[in-house]
Amino acid sequence: MQNLILYSLSNFIPETILVVTIIVCIIADLIIRKKSFAVTFVAIVGLVLSFVFVVKQWGLSMSIFSGMLAIDNYAVFFKLLFIISTLFILLFVETSKEMKTASHKNEHVYLILSLTTGAYLMASSVNLIMMYISLEMVSLTSYILAGYLKKDKRSTEAAIKYIIYGAASSGIMLYGMTLIYGYTATMNINEIFLYLSKNPITDTPVLLASVIMISAGFGYKISSVPFHFWTPDVYEGAPIPITAFLAVTSSAAGFSVLVRFFLVGFANTEIITAVKWQEVIIVFSIASMIIGNFVAVWQTSLKRLLAYSSIAQSGYILLGLAVVNSAGLFAVILYLSAYLFMNLGAFYVTILIHNKLGTDNMDEMDGLGYRSPFIGVTMAVFMFSLAGIPATVGFIGKFYIFSALINTNSPNLTWLAVVGLLNSVVSLFFYVKVLKHMFLNKPEKPLPELDYGYANILITLLLAVPTILFGLYFTPLLRLAENSIKIFGLN
Amino acid sequence: MIDIQYFLILSAVLFSIGVIGVLVRRNAIVIFMCIELMLNSVNLSLITFSSFFSNYYGQIFVFFIMTVAAAEAAVGLAIIISIYRNKESINVDEINILKW
Amino acid sequence: MDKFFIFVLIFPLLGFIINLLFGKRIKSEKFIGIFSSAVVLIPFLIAVYFLIYLFSLEPQSRFITLNLLSWIAAGFFNIQFSFLIDPLSLCMVLVVTGVGFLIHWYSIGYMHNDSMFSRFFAYMNLFILSMLILVLADNFLLLFLGWEGVGLCSYLLIGFWYEKKFTGDAAKKAFIVNRIGDFGFMIAMFLIFLNFGTLNISQFLAAIPVSFEFNSGLLVAVSLLLFLGATGKSAQIPLFVWLPDAMAGPTPVSALIHAATMVTAGVYLIARCSLLYVYSPITTNIVLIIGIFTALIAAVIAAKQNDIKKILAYSTISQLGFMFVALGTFTYWLAIFHLITHAFFKALLFLGSGSVIHAMSDEQDIRNMGALKDKMKITYYTFLIGALAISGIPPLAGFWSKDEILFKTFLNSGLIFYIVLLGIAFLTAFYMFRLVTLTFYGEPRYAANIHPHESPKSMTIPLLILCGLSVIGGFIGLPHITHLPNFLERFLSVVFDKTETALMMYSQVNKPEVSLEIILLILSVVVALISITYSYKKFSAVKKFKASRGFAKIVENKFYVDEIYDRIIVNPLYFISDKLLWKIFDIKIIDGFINGLADFIKKSGEDWRRIQSGIVQDYALITVSGIIIIIIYLIFF
Repeated sequence: MQNLILYSLSNFIPETILVVTIIVCIIADLIIRKKSFAVTFVAIVGLVLSFVFVVKQWGLSMSIFSGMLAIDNYAVFFKLLFIISTLFILLFVETSKEMKTASHKNEHVYLILSLTTGAYLMASSVNLIMMYISLEMVSLTSYILAGYLKKDKRSTEAAIKYIIYGAASSGIMLYGMTLIYGYTATMNINEIFLYLSKNPITDTPVLLASVIMISAGFGYKISSVPFHFWTPDVYEGAPIPITAFLAVTSSAAGFSVLVRFFLVGFANTEIITAVKWQEVIIVFSIASMIIGNFVAVWQTSLKRLLAYSSIAQSGYILLGLAVVNSAGLFAVILYLSAYLFMNLGAFYVTILIHNKLGTDNMDEMDGLGYRSPFIGVTMAVFMFSLAGIPATVGFIGKFYIFSALINTNSPNLTWLAVVGLLNSVVSLFFYVKVLKHMFLNKPEKPLPELDYGYANILITLLLAVPTILFGLYFTPLLRLAENSIKIFGLN
Repeated sequence: MIDIQYFLILSAVLFSIGVIGVLVRRNAIVIFMCIELMLNSVNLSLITFSSFFSNYYGQIFVFFIMTVAAAEAAVGLAIIISIYRNKESINVDEINILKW
Repeated sequence: MDKFFIFVLIFPLLGFIINLLFGKRIKSEKFIGIFSSAVVLIPFLIAVYFLIYLFSLEPQSRFITLNLLSWIAAGFFNIQFSFLIDPLSLCMVLVVTGVGFLIHWYSIGYMHNDSMFSRFFAYMNLFILSMLILVLADNFLLLFLGWEGVGLCSYLLIGFWYEKKFTGDAAKKAFIVNRIGDFGFMIAMFLIFLNFGTLNISQFLAAIPVSFEFNSGLLVAVSLLLFLGATGKSAQIPLFVWLPDAMAGPTPVSALIHAATMVTAGVYLIARCSLLYVYSPITTNIVLIIGIFTALIAAVIAAKQNDIKKILAYSTISQLGFMFVALGTFTYWLAIFHLITHAFFKALLFLGSGSVIHAMSDEQDIRNMGALKDKMKITYYTFLIGALAISGIPPLAGFWSKDEILFKTFLNSGLIFYIVLLGIAFLTAFYMFRLVTLTFYGEPRYAANIHPHESPKSMTIPLLILCGLSVIGGFIGLPHITHLPNFLERFLSVVFDKTETALMMYSQVNKPEVSLEIILLILSVVVALISITYSYKKFSAVKKFKASRGFAKIVENKFYVDEIYDRIIVNPLYFISDKLLWKIFDIKIIDGFINGLADFIKKSGEDWRRIQSGIVQDYALITVSGIIIIIIYLIFF
């Protein structure tokens, strides 16, 4: 027993490092007591260390803490994604003026790290208990982060809406978990799969209800319709770096656990026919794409627009899950890596605009492309990538999603690809609208040029260059994705 | 021994009361209480199943749920305090500057 | 070791990036000029090293494939960033970088004090890079990348002085005409991938003899489409119209496009795919006929042009025609030979003309020149040698290659083609010496306020080097009658040996008779000499220029080809696109549909966003009812 725990701990180093870093950050914050880059620096060091140990786990395949967590390439991929996004978010916060108005100076650092730790656990959890706890770990920290600007009405409103909606959703998810526990007498998803595939499936209503209730919990994390309602309000109210964090890390974590839950626990033709979760996912996906894209057309707040865009993007990613084969999962992984760069980039440009203009209202952005060509061009790159225009990484993501759908040769899924493609066309409408404001609309009176520091430009380039580079030379991403999904053993 | 169904029905009823409470009560604190009710109904059925299967998964889960619920309540109350400071009200239907 | 070759590509890329990003900050023209030339010189040196290295290998193993990384891997569609170093591509690399370097060097003086100095060199480096990718590519997609890159750079450089409208028009024309050729290339590429399952050139060529008959439909189609691409880049009928207009760019650009790079791409492509053309003799005959017609028409037009650069431009088209004739008579090495010698003397002529234009304060009309012989000695002598070389006077470079083409045509295609080519050779000497005479001899006809002067050293030294190359360049490919080794043919023979074997299968190669070859040699020299004398006599005494009439006027107006294209292609296209496609199809149908759709999206979006009421309980209500509806639906339906 003791050996088992030691063995588990030795494979739990990345998480341990993060936890230690959090504690160090808290102590450092208590000692320093004013705004200081030192705390952020400690966090960055911790993340880099953790990165090293995560990379070491590449190629392992085991489960630790008596079947609570899995160490495999799939988890490693997501952990790397979380680390990169967290590093960027820490830099975002440092360069955001909005975050400087907060009454706490350094707390965000360890809150962000806690969220990352939770996301780590989500990516590797293979047990319903672990899934719930890690999900709550992510949720609780994101509630606090969303309300980080305590004196700002919008920020606090975002927080209260988020927590009420989130707590209710996770309550529903818990009830679903109880039902499946009652059905299979276990909480490990591998064992659930064994039970379901060995025994004839009776009482389908119970199973159906439980699966849908569980997907309420995950669906709210990935902001898929109909669990998306919090997204626009929270994205708009929260400080932009936090919004970016929620949009990337939190939703990628949601996907990591959702995909594992369905593809490990329920990926079997008989189970799919009985539980019909594939149809449920398809419905969620179509609804997300349509609602996200159609409503985004109306937005004037850039953050809110990006919120609806995130909803729509979730729809595309769910399409990849709905294929239920390795090509689809491959596309999901690819899309998420693309999503990391382009979404963070779009949010960072929003931060830079907000720093100078003090607003994210698009009507104020008229002529911005000429006031700062750098902002205009990089925004164009990210918008085109989000819309899936070729020569950007977003195109690669969409391309593989749609080709996975079409290659199944099933007419229904091919139709789904058509729906997705039409939605991409609609999405172009509002992505280009942002650029229209920046380049084609003339401001009423000539406005001064905007100057950005080297740090700002460097961070933007760190995101814009991969967005284009991986759009042209994407073989490394393909290799990464290919190796990340092997453990699922799908055909 | 009492039949397992009774416990499960009680749990379902509690859960429904909780959900309806979340949907209809306007006071944020009451909403949180209703969410606690949902979680406790879950706990009840977990314990029921656990003793029925005589395995320990359910019982462990209950402990975790209780802990998380406490944390959630702490965070929730803190947020309610800060919204009260900003708006002097904790009625959720008055909190709607962010919309559409 | 082999990977070391990649620096051939890295250096020009580096030059491009640095010039583009930091060019404006670096104030020193000297630094930019030397740096940009160096990044072309170093690849040349590397290529020389590899030339020696290849010579040290057995002839059969002179093929080095550089597999760098996988570019696109999607199922069985696998494209590598891979380059092939073999005698053919290495010859091209040497020409591109060698002549390219001299042109870069020359440009330092020519572009002196231009406000966009660094950008010019950035584009030039990119041009060299694209051309290198083109000739080194191991698969069609990578080749196409270089192909398009060359097109893009020509667009940027021809329109370099973008303040003038006609440069922009010329750039657009070059780009659009090239696109027509690219279209052929792309379709060919799709056909190849569809039928052969690969885009790798070697694999594609290897598959031809295995599974195809001579003149099989697919091969003819692919070869014709590739040839369409080649006519675009190499300015052959019907797509030659862009090249004369490309003179609008700075003169070094013309030299680069005409001599070393872009226009040779088509010749290279066909030589690279020679096996394909041997297997579709129909296309090869078309290549021959197109080549000979282009050579003839361009030579005739050149004889009546008055713009110094236009004459050279038509002369390029005509000489390219010669290369296509060589391709059309299955003598591929010969096409490459003429390509190399032509690169030398045409670069020389263009740079010389640039020197003249420089001296004459941007005057380009030879009617307004004359008697420059004594004012600019170096330019005069080098230009004269270039002109003699192109006219085919022994022992200069042009003589060997052109004469070999004439001889091989006589052997393989018969007397009539030979006579036509001989006539073209006569015309070539005629228009070149018309140009030389009017420019350098006779009385000065330029305005009094122009004071011609010799160009600076940075311009004359490249001229001298090119002049030397034009003199000795022909000795790499001496004909058999001299009983001296023919380096080039032997060097390239490994590349074309499969082609030769295939050729044996259906065509009798005529044995050359020594006496006949000598007679033909003397004949062509005599023709050239007569032409030169006649031309000198006719123009050295000219004082006034009469307006041309009749046929001469038609020739002066380039057979009205541009006008004809305007009438039958461009204008109808405008008409259809304006009246039919735009006013009816676009506005009424497409816009109507799109706007309707957009209205629908907007309307439904407007309705749906009202659901987001801002009250969290509404959200929860909808979510919960959503869950219940889905559960009920799934259970009962």
